Amino acid sequence: MKLKDFGGGFAPGSRHNRIFGIRLAMAPDIFTYKNPLPQTSTEGGVLAGKKVVIQPSMSARGWLTNAGSPALEGFVAIEDATVITRIRNAGASLVGSTLMSELGFGIYGDKGTQALCGGEADIALITDTMGEVRVAAATSGLFGFKPSYGIVSRFGLIGIVPSMECYGIMAKSPEDIITTMGVIIGKDENDFSMPDEDLPGFSMPGEPPGTKGVAGVIKECLVTLDDTEIKAFESLLAKIEEAGLIVQEVSLENFGLFQAVHNVIGSVEASSSAGKFDGVRYGHRTVSAKNWNEMYMNSRGESFGSLVKAYLFQGAYFQFENYTAFENACRIRRRLIRDTEKLFEHIDVLALPARRLHHDPARAGTVRETYDAFSLTLLANVTGYPSLQIPSLSPDSGADPGLQIISPRLSDARLLATGMSIIVHGAKKT
Amino acid sequence: MKYEAVIGLEIHVQLNTATKLFCDCHNRPGDQPNQNTCPICLWLPGALPKFSQEALEKATLACLALNCTVQKESAFDQKVYYYPDLPKGFQLSQHHRPLAKNGWLDILGEDKAVKRLRIHHIHMEEDVARLVHETEGRTPVSLVDFNRAGTPLIEIVTEPDMRSPHEATEFIRALRAQLRYTGSSDCSMERGTLRVDANISLRPAGTDVFNTKVEVKNMNSIRNVADAIAYEIRRQTECLERGEPIVIHTRLWDSEKNVTTAMRGKFSGPCIPDPSVPGILVTDAWLQEMSDRLPEMPGQKSARFLKEYGLNYEEASSMTQEQELSEFFEEVVKENLPPRKVASWMATHLIPFLRDNNITIKDTPLTPKRFAGLLFMLENGVINANAAKEVLTRLVSSDQSPEEIIEKGRFRQVSDNEELEALIDGILANHPSDVEDFRNGNPKVMGFFMGLAMKASGKKANPKLLKEILTKRLS
Repeated sequence: MKLKDFGGGFAPGSRHNRIFGIRLAMAPDIFTYKNPLPQTSTEGGVLAGKKVVIQPSMSARGWLTNAGSPALEGFVAIEDATVITRIRNAGASLVGSTLMSELGFGIYGDKGTQALCGGEADIALITDTMGEVRVAAATSGLFGFKPSYGIVSRFGLIGIVPSMECYGIMAKSPEDIITTMGVIIGKDENDFSMPDEDLPGFSMPGEPPGTKGVAGVIKECLVTLDDTEIKAFESLLAKIEEAGLIVQEVSLENFGLFQAVHNVIGSVEASSSAGKFDGVRYGHRTVSAKNWNEMYMNSRGESFGSLVKAYLFQGAYFQFENYTAFENACRIRRRLIRDTEKLFEHIDVLALPARRLHHDPARAGTVRETYDAFSLTLLANVTGYPSLQIPSLSPDSGADPGLQIISPRLSDARLLATGMSIIVHGAKKT
Repeated sequence: MKYEAVIGLEIHVQLNTATKLFCDCHNRPGDQPNQNTCPICLWLPGALPKFSQEALEKATLACLALNCTVQKESAFDQKVYYYPDLPKGFQLSQHHRPLAKNGWLDILGEDKAVKRLRIHHIHMEEDVARLVHETEGRTPVSLVDFNRAGTPLIEIVTEPDMRSPHEATEFIRALRAQLRYTGSSDCSMERGTLRVDANISLRPAGTDVFNTKVEVKNMNSIRNVADAIAYEIRRQTECLERGEPIVIHTRLWDSEKNVTTAMRGKFSGPCIPDPSVPGILVTDAWLQEMSDRLPEMPGQKSARFLKEYGLNYEEASSMTQEQELSEFFEEVVKENLPPRKVASWMATHLIPFLRDNNITIKDTPLTPKRFAGLLFMLENGVINANAAKEVLTRLVSSDQSPEEIIEKGRFRQVSDNEELEALIDGILANHPSDVEDFRNGNPKVMGFFMGLAMKASGKKANPKLLKEILTKRLS
């Protein structure tokens, strides 16, 4: 399969920056919207006392919900997303929404991490489309969790790759992640796409695999890493072994294709999803246009930043000019899911670094740079598997690529329990 | 060279569900603009489609009624194109995996032989919003009414089995009858709940090639469909005879000028599987449940009328077009009247009356018993056919019995020999030259005298008796 990257040579949207420049001048902080009445409940609840920040792509009634894009200029959500309702009902204090990357593609300009590190919040919700929550957490020594696809309602979430994206949870402690999962998981009458299946329970921590557990390390992934990354990753693997897991090398021959598959399917879905941003019902509309077509083209042309624009162009290319490549990508995706599923006949979790050390996701300005920065997290989005990023426990985290563990769909509780046992044992040793 | 037409139809039928296909808004496109809208059908950011069970049921009933095989699995795709009537930037439609495949309907061809026309597939899709372009005034504006956006449609795609306007219109009539029985749609071309696009191409008669086709849209009656197809066949024939190639495009039927005009090149955008609408899985038990809901369908009923009542194909088909009328017909026949007489009276007098007044039987006080009473008196010579027509118009507008109407309106037929003889003698005496003419061998004069005598009797004379007396007197 041939891939075209339309991103080459573009700098991240200048317009994008200008828009946020104005916002920053008005509210010189990290928020898109700051809740004037953050205390939403006085009746207690499992999240009582916890400060939560969300992204402006998650609908909260009455809040500016622009998903980081001028395409949603001035758009105010008219109802709560299901996840937001559940978090409110659990007693959390909703602090506000932080600045985010345009439509949640990558983490360019995302301020969720800053809100957590600066003590503004205990928990941040960040859409994980290609690994955003895990990579962002890995760059800041935080925990980042992407749940199984389809177990958390997407109702009210504005994203661009519906078959890959979900709410991610970032926190300083894994306990906060487990509590939040327990609150947001579960069927929703507003999200018909959620399969009818037995969901993992989070009321009690799941059983970790224990001393007999096996952590698989993908051979084909290791060869993509450089020496520094290998060295850092090996020290993280040592912690896994200390927690009683056996580390074993496994082979996933087509590991390299996760990137291509995500890129093709993701951009096609993005092109479709962003079709609604036409300036007819809300958002930015061009001031002058002679007819429909011109209104569409100008409004959209003026709305999107260059990174998103390049991604949408690429998606439209596959939709209109090379549909076969898209069909191939869908077929390869099914194959990759089968191959990954097979690995778990012999292992309990997959262990990968969470991020590349020399590809800075916060500076990725082209589609290719963005994918290079997220190459290690895409597997979980393509397969729909849960994935947990565990920060390094050593004081020197400058060269920390993060430790990412992944397990099959619906084994979220057990994955989090495994993560807990790694931390506990790692902490004992250090 | 002699050409034959190859015609395929794409028929959109609006389902009469209570709600839209992917949200809980009322399915009432005609309400105040944008009254029936919500974040889902306006596709506001963060919206996710729900799915109407009722729409699936009604679509499935329609598929069964058209003899299609409902697929175990079907799914929705995104048909991508950009237009302001489409809030998502794509239309949700079952492109790759339709709800049902391989159906058929039987029609009576021009040669009076039964012909089976095949249906390729039936899929569900959502309707788009309505656009109003206000071009008058200083600033021309375009307005969008989203009431219709997201309402459920089925699209029936036929095989290119039709060869003439007659076959196409017979197919539409048969399809309409079948669908109306399911209660899924009122199928009115005039009201836009049944919309027909025709794909037409020509080929040398007797060959089986498929040439470039032209799509014709915008017909809002069955008659329009026949006219548009006939026009298009003529137009393409002339093109071919002039040596002009046919190019694939879409044409609009102009019902005022009776011509088709070129609209645009045929556009087909990509269709991407939709990740958010759940796939549809149909179980055998559920399908059986749907099947059990169907009444005896017009096709079956028509075959039974043929056998049971000795009707011919046309009579049977006309008596089964509407479920209500077919039941009325059987009730009347039960009163011991000759079925063909009942069918003929319903087809030539009752049905046209209802159609002209845009009403159904239920809107009138007419009952099978009262209608049977009228036909009895006609059969027994109490009234003649002229009077019967008059009586019928009163039967549907008052609740008097046929006897009362006949007495009060003095519709009773004159069957008194002496009265009629006197009347005829008077007429003959006044027209000696015509009598002469008849006796010299001009039989047409008989009709002339019949007309005069009928008129003189106030249209109440028993025509049989009248003829007898005339023949006797003239010989």
